Amino acid sequence: MDMLLNRLKELTNNKYFQCIQCGTCGGSCPYGAYTPYTPRRMILAIRLGMVEDILNSNAQWLCTACQTCTSRCPSRIQITDGIIPALREKSLLEGKVPEELSTALINIMRYGNPFKESPMKRDGWAKELDFEVPTMMKKKSAEVLLLPECFGAYHRRCKQATKALAKVMKILEVDFAILGREERCTGDHVRLCGEFALFEDLMEKNMKVFRKYEFKYIVTHDAHAFNALKNFYGLNVLHHSQFLHDNLEKLKGMFNELDYTVTYHDSCYLGRKNGIYEEPREVIRSIPGVRFVEFKRNRENALCCGAGGGGIWLDSVMREFVKVRPAEDRVREAKEVGADVIVTGCVLDIPMFEDALKVTGLDGEIVVKDIAELVLEALEGG
Amino acid sequence: MRIGAIVRIVPDLVMGIEIEESEIVPFKYVPNERDEHALEEAVVFKEKTGGNLEVVGIVDDELRDDEAMEEALALAYAKGADSLKKIVLNRRTFDRREVARAIADHFKDYDVVMVGIQSIDSFAGYLGGILSGVLGYSYVGGVVGVDYDGGLIVQKELGGGVVGKFRVKTPAILGVVSAERPITFVPLVKLRQAMKEMKVEEIEVEVPDMGGIEVVRFYEPEKPEITLLEGDVEELADKLVEVFKSLSLV
Repeated sequence: MDMLLNRLKELTNNKYFQCIQCGTCGGSCPYGAYTPYTPRRMILAIRLGMVEDILNSNAQWLCTACQTCTSRCPSRIQITDGIIPALREKSLLEGKVPEELSTALINIMRYGNPFKESPMKRDGWAKELDFEVPTMMKKKSAEVLLLPECFGAYHRRCKQATKALAKVMKILEVDFAILGREERCTGDHVRLCGEFALFEDLMEKNMKVFRKYEFKYIVTHDAHAFNALKNFYGLNVLHHSQFLHDNLEKLKGMFNELDYTVTYHDSCYLGRKNGIYEEPREVIRSIPGVRFVEFKRNRENALCCGAGGGGIWLDSVMREFVKVRPAEDRVREAKEVGADVIVTGCVLDIPMFEDALKVTGLDGEIVVKDIAELVLEALEGG
Repeated sequence: MRIGAIVRIVPDLVMGIEIEESEIVPFKYVPNERDEHALEEAVVFKEKTGGNLEVVGIVDDELRDDEAMEEALALAYAKGADSLKKIVLNRRTFDRREVARAIADHFKDYDVVMVGIQSIDSFAGYLGGILSGVLGYSYVGGVVGVDYDGGLIVQKELGGGVVGKFRVKTPAILGVVSAERPITFVPLVKLRQAMKEMKVEEIEVEVPDMGGIEVVRFYEPEKPEITLLEGDVEELADKLVEVFKSLSLV
């Protein structure tokens, strides 16, 4: 209990006990109606010494780290980055870990990725391109370090977004390179799951690799990697929507017309966590022929895809509580506003929404594209 | 209840291997996955019976200090093993009869010993079965659950979705295929703490030369020829018909 309280003090800057029990968090939470312990009730239960009751309910795992509660909390309590990971850490230390998450964490610890894939194959996506993507090991310095992170490097669908981004960089004649086999998980989900020692270990190992090479800034299309590198590693990093926005004048001259009705999904770790709302919208709107429509719930109010904070490995836990996944609600919202393309800013969104399209029967009516894929399509002529 | 569990390390196929004619050279070793299940089941059984769990690492002399063995023993300690041993074989052998003979004397003091039913680097697996033969103990393989009601009750997968439950006389060796709960994750902070605190009794044993099996060569089988059919649905259908015709299927 003492360890939990110390961790809560550390992660919330001693603010967790300042909760005024207003219930804004639970009212905002996508799972608020289903969870036995909303953040408000969690804090109350902690005050009453009922921590084991929370842990036994599994409510600590029913959180996709979407940051909605934190962004709205009038007492500014770090719920997502503090209360939830602290409770999860206690679960981990007590050996109460959901199965898929357990497997992902073992793989990250052993191989630096959750898929049990060889680190030697981390640059496999680059070999599928018809041009060479240089590694830092060979090149030693580059203006941009492109970081695909685990899903962007290994996941069959997410690799397509990585390749699209690399192609856009080549078209823009950007001097870029990758870490390839030297790259490993940046650990944002690991941290949000409460495995702080593993997060620090990953950060230490990654920093050693970063320090070996010269680059001006990192570009990543993984919103969680972006968050970790920006707010925890303290590195100069751009989300790829910012990078595309920075190059928009050059891109505009090369865009061809597309015939899509596009809506944009604000990823939690771009929007609510890091305040990036306008850059991706400006990039999308600048493509001729694209009709841009907003989700009804957009910007700070956007609904989470469900993958964050380890949510992508917690499906069986969530299904105990929730019959309709947030991603399924989200693709129905896209249908409501008449979109035929959902553009995303985080690679994790892609498999979440594509799965949801199949479940909801909207597959074929709506497609999901990373913003780099949309831009590449406009550059290549649709 | 005196419970034993065996852990071994095997080439990490995720990291890759180099195949030479006379040997397979791994880039890295990793705890044997089936033994991780055996350990997990042994931990579950300790929780059920309140027994004493001793985990025994078995490793060749040249790998005695390999970090994978240290990790395997530290994971066992972090999960609740009461004591740890490491049996060092004086030479490498893939013949589990030789291993069983070499280690048998050190497995006489347990009521139950759990071991993974296979490891990828042996000629035929079944260390547990052979060890039970050497010791004259009961043996059940394919184990997926172990209970105790004053005697040992073992669940075994019989295939085809059928599970059998058996009363087994102790002492017994159990070849575990899958623990009744998933392998639990040990947080890094607990793993590091275990590495710092654990005490491992090291025992060196001589491996008898029983002969009978020699390595002729290791090699990768020839890859089958793959033809990728491309085109629209109608073209693909025509091409498939041609393929079926060539195979005399239509």
